[in-house]
Amino acid sequence: MQRAARRSSGLIASCLLAALGVASCGTPEAGGESPASATANAAPKTATDRGLTGVWVPIGSFEDPAGPSPWSNTPWPRNPPFTPAGAAESQRLDDHSNFTACTPGGPVFHMWEIGIFPIQLLEAPDQIVIVREASGIPRRIYTDGRGHPPEDEMVATWNGHSIGTWDGDVLVVDTVGTNGKARAANGVGSNAKVSSIDDDPRFPLSDQLHLVERLRLVANDELLEDELAINDPKFYTEPVVLKHYFQRRPDIDILEYFCGDNPRAGDDTAKATP
Amino acid sequence: MSMSRARFPKLLRAVGVAAAVCAGAALAPTVSAHHSFASFDRTKKVTLTGTVKDFQWTNPHAWIQVTVPDDKGQATEWGIECGSPNMMVRTGWKKTALKPGDQVVAVVNPLLDGRPNGSLVTITLADGTVLGPGDAPPPRPLGSSTRSQ
Repeated sequence: MQRAARRSSGLIASCLLAALGVASCGTPEAGGESPASATANAAPKTATDRGLTGVWVPIGSFEDPAGPSPWSNTPWPRNPPFTPAGAAESQRLDDHSNFTACTPGGPVFHMWEIGIFPIQLLEAPDQIVIVREASGIPRRIYTDGRGHPPEDEMVATWNGHSIGTWDGDVLVVDTVGTNGKARAANGVGSNAKVSSIDDDPRFPLSDQLHLVERLRLVANDELLEDELAINDPKFYTEPVVLKHYFQRRPDIDILEYFCGDNPRAGDDTAKATP
Repeated sequence: MSMSRARFPKLLRAVGVAAAVCAGAALAPTVSAHHSFASFDRTKKVTLTGTVKDFQWTNPHAWIQVTVPDDKGQATEWGIECGSPNMMVRTGWKKTALKPGDQVVAVVNPLLDGRPNGSLVTITLADGTVLGPGDAPPPRPLGSSTRSQ
């Protein structure tokens, strides 16, 4: 969906944050029109504007999941360092009959699904929120210095509990507390292959996941790089490290997406022969 | 998926269902965030010429119900699964693109089990407009997306 009024995008971000209960609805910065000749670095960087706020589309396509170089997604390892439990869960997720439609994807899938669904980052004084269009569950990365809850107070969730710290221009995000029930981290639909040429093993994530990400802007701030270090001793014998890229897309709005509006799956012919 | 114009292929009206095995279909994309598309035969394309009965403009997938006559006068209703309307509006679709009674030609990957459902590859509308199933937003070359906040 094309948006004509680029100037209002800062206000929209503030208002979205207000709607999420994390900031007040403020006045947009002066200027903001984005002619093609404008340089990305012209915008100021402040405590609440590190340049992350905006809509981002994952790089890559079904036919070319890595996307063009030099900012290419790291291919999923062909021979993952699975533990026996990890190998078994990977095989289970690879079986189409085991999928459960509309399950959330978890924090890695949230930052992966190539091409089709954008994400939106919203910066607030105490947190950075990452909304994914095809998920009703945002990631909240607390940047106010808090730690993770004590283990006996942690409520395991689909996306887990995330805290962020700045290492120069790199946002280091530490995530624990996932419930281990999410779909394969490298699927598209629940357990689905990315495409018919995708024969990579499925990558399961357990409730022992400790995800460490390093997010930074590259390519004149037009691309967001997310280096993900997947530490999951239940399913992997060593960390799996990947880089995923997203392109800034101020021309696109995040739309609402409720997976249960029409629960028909592909082989549901019930409405085909009333 | 780009939108293009083409003449409505009238000759195809005479053929209700024309199936063809297309080796090139192996690269056809999936369009789902909701479920696997493993139930569809992505090596096969079936051309359906018929009349729109219903257009379900819904997430997570839009569906088109098409009544397809065969050469013996028997009609079969096909369910055609598309991508999310979110993806479709970014690639040329509108919810008014189809209405009951419209004549269309749809190319689909059919179900493996032979029942009359398919995953949309392309559809030619009555006015000749050709649309895909909904896909990633049209790409922008690197260097064209600046900070606007």
